[in-house]
Amino acid sequence: MQWIIVTGDSRGLGKEITLQILSETQYGVIGISRSDVNETSDIISNYPGRYIHLVYDLANSKEIKNLYINQIKKIGPIYGLVNNSAFAYDDIVSNLNNKLLDQMFQVNVYSPMNLTKYVIRDMLLNKVQGSIVHISSVSAHTGYKGLSMYAATKGALEAFSINVAREWGEKGIRSNCIVPGFMETTMNASLNLEQKQRIYRRTSMKKETSVNSVASTALFLLLEQSVSITGTVIHVDNGTL
Amino acid sequence: MKNKLLDIINEMMEEAGTSTIEELKEEMSLRDDLKMDSLMLAELTVRIEDEFEVDLFEDGIVRTVAEVLAKIERS
Repeated sequence: MQWIIVTGDSRGLGKEITLQILSETQYGVIGISRSDVNETSDIISNYPGRYIHLVYDLANSKEIKNLYINQIKKIGPIYGLVNNSAFAYDDIVSNLNNKLLDQMFQVNVYSPMNLTKYVIRDMLLNKVQGSIVHISSVSAHTGYKGLSMYAATKGALEAFSINVAREWGEKGIRSNCIVPGFMETTMNASLNLEQKQRIYRRTSMKKETSVNSVASTALFLLLEQSVSITGTVIHVDNGTL
Repeated sequence: MKNKLLDIINEMMEEAGTSTIEELKEEMSLRDDLKMDSLMLAELTVRIEDEFEVDLFEDGIVRTVAEVLAKIERS
């Protein structure tokens, strides 16, 4: 069995992507997040042998080498990676706090880059033509007050994805981004109703983005049906134009 | 160790459709004599890591067979 790594698998979009992979495909899922294994016990019991949750804090990108060598590599060949985990540090830039900024870049940029490094190495070793999907954000394309620093991490991820696609395309390894609009997940729990309404009014469809729709798009980009798609960005944002 | 490295390189040559080599000489350059491009060097790296648990390019550029062997010996 080949495996797909999903970061931030214990809740929100990551959990939905994990569940769709498990229910729609034959792949196994290796979930990585800080969450205790108990928080994902419902998935483990529904898909025995096809789901493994690794407890790891992606704020520490330097230990990803050891995570790969000591744990991930031993599980089996990797077919896919979904870089979904993100840390949201929202504030206006004049309040920039370096500690929080560092932490956000670790989780949102450095860890996805390190995971990509080891996933590509694993694909080369096992001759797997795999797929990498990065979850970006609408804020990298449309400005929102307080999101400049967060948006910068997503812009970095999108630029990284395009160049990875170019670098590894001849080995059949693909890299794409999804740009979700605002979803009703814990990541946006700090927004009040009025803030949410204001954000949704900027979309063509005047509402929150469906988590299910974003997860289905991730599944599409992982699977064979998107075999000719690489280096692109798919907006799933209710038409934030 | 040298024979194992020769096996790894020849396996890659076969897969790339280029002619294999009889003997691995220490002064051989990976790029010029063995005609490896950056993606082939990446593949060599992962195969060596899998076999010898050493990451070739982690702390600097490796150019020749002698340098590869030295890296593996030091690990």
